[in-house]
Amino acid sequence: MNLAYLRFDLRRMVRNKRLMIFSILMPLALFLVFGTHTEGARMDTGITAAAYVMVSMAMFGSMSAAMSSGGAIATERDGGWNRTLRLTPLKPYAYVASKVLLSLVLAIAPLVAVFVAGVAAGGVRLDTGQWTMVALTSWLGALPFAGLGLIIGYVATPDSVQPITGLTTMMVAAFGGLWLPVENMPDVMRDIARLTPAYWTGQTARSTLTSAGIDSRALLVVLAWTLVLGYIGLRRFRADTARA
Amino acid sequence: MTTTMTTTTTAVRLTGVTRRYGAVQAVAGVDLIIGSGEVVAILGPNGAGKSTTIEMLLGLVRPDHGSIQVYGQSPYDAIAAGRVGAMLQSGGIIEDAKVGELVGLVAGLHPKPMPAHEALERAGIADLGDRVFRTLSGGQKQRVRFAMAIVPQPDLIVLDEPTTGMDVETRRAFWQAMHAETARGRTVLFATHYLDEADSYADRVVLMRHGRVVADGTASEIKAGVSGRTIRATVPDADLGRLAALDGVSTVETRGDVVLLQCADSDRVLRHLLDHTTAHDIEVWSPDLEDAVLALSDAEEAVA
Repeated sequence: MNLAYLRFDLRRMVRNKRLMIFSILMPLALFLVFGTHTEGARMDTGITAAAYVMVSMAMFGSMSAAMSSGGAIATERDGGWNRTLRLTPLKPYAYVASKVLLSLVLAIAPLVAVFVAGVAAGGVRLDTGQWTMVALTSWLGALPFAGLGLIIGYVATPDSVQPITGLTTMMVAAFGGLWLPVENMPDVMRDIARLTPAYWTGQTARSTLTSAGIDSRALLVVLAWTLVLGYIGLRRFRADTARA
Repeated sequence: MTTTMTTTTTAVRLTGVTRRYGAVQAVAGVDLIIGSGEVVAILGPNGAGKSTTIEMLLGLVRPDHGSIQVYGQSPYDAIAAGRVGAMLQSGGIIEDAKVGELVGLVAGLHPKPMPAHEALERAGIADLGDRVFRTLSGGQKQRVRFAMAIVPQPDLIVLDEPTTGMDVETRRAFWQAMHAETARGRTVLFATHYLDEADSYADRVVLMRHGRVVADGTASEIKAGVSGRTIRATVPDADLGRLAALDGVSTVETRGDVVLLQCADSDRVLRHLLDHTTAHDIEVWSPDLEDAVLALSDAEEAVA
């Protein structure tokens, strides 16, 4: 695959320090607030509260990063940049694939930051296998949100894309139980949480730390969300590029 | 034995191409064949259908009727094969990208590009590689677009009003850079409403009006075909009736002793003036392309 477009996006993203810092600081700060004074408490599933919050915030970080790359699409659509790209051999699908890859690359920095804080400030101790599984699931858990970002990118205008992305991210994170564990909430909140993809991505990532191992039902729901959101995103994208 | 050698391949072939936008027939049946290596100007006023024709040629807009081939392929396939470089009118650039990144991206997406720095050099902006696009002047931005058009080393370069927004100096420099590309044998098609650009830089001028091609030839053919030459001479006691009756004279005007003759065959009229009259201070000149375009446009108007 041609990575020229990914390189082009990444260089600009890295230059945009405000965005980078924000995408790292937000989950990091939330972890430091909620995850560092747990005094060795454990959740019902047996994992420490610190690890639970760490994984949730890591998931929140990679989810926000993935959503934000959709915003770029709205801006690029508006300025006629699409026309310029259509004058190059870049295939429309390669463009979308590049944006999804970008989501995954952007998700790395907040993940690493939260994990480091988890070890340094939260006293989280995991074995190599657990780290690997947690990292992989929280990282790839960004995929359904890359799809959601794609949809927003093709529906929103450049002016509306930031508030829409910000609001969606917060709603999904809050109601999906990434900020506060739904286990401690009223039943109705749990039911609502189960309607969001964030609950299931969080559940998948956290389940890798339990003795029961990865929650295969949660993983399936995440896959389903990825397919559905990805499909809608691709349809929006096709409708947009077929406009001529 | 005679053999027909086809030494030139066809770069662009438009056959019966039309496109309507609502009530406006933007392009009303264009046939155009451009050979490899030609430098062709599409000339015409705003709304003549130049941009729509170019957009169809680049596959950005689908024609309602007719067919379009670029090197025997669909525009889409020709672009996918990296054979086309294009420079559109304003818009269409990510403003917070650096010049080097933009040209590097286009290079990276093509199969056989030249190095990005070389394209910047050829466009005369080697020193702007690290500048953010948004901070450039209008003329500099156009040069970035030009660098993006040539960096793929395309066989065909398509430019839609490339010098819009450039000052005189920048325009001249731009066309010098462009000339270097045409000297490399690239096929070039550019739309312009600057007559002097079409006159100076194109081998061939395609004049469009109301979505149709109303004239097609070299700049001098178009000038000659339309209004021939003008002769101005001082002819004391001229026999105007006699002059007007000469073969190839279309109009006669006088200003005192000075006679102005519009003629299709200026040589014959000159011979007559010298042999049979006392004409002196004779001047002959071609109408410029502007006269030709106006005349053609009027003719078109009369038909319409």
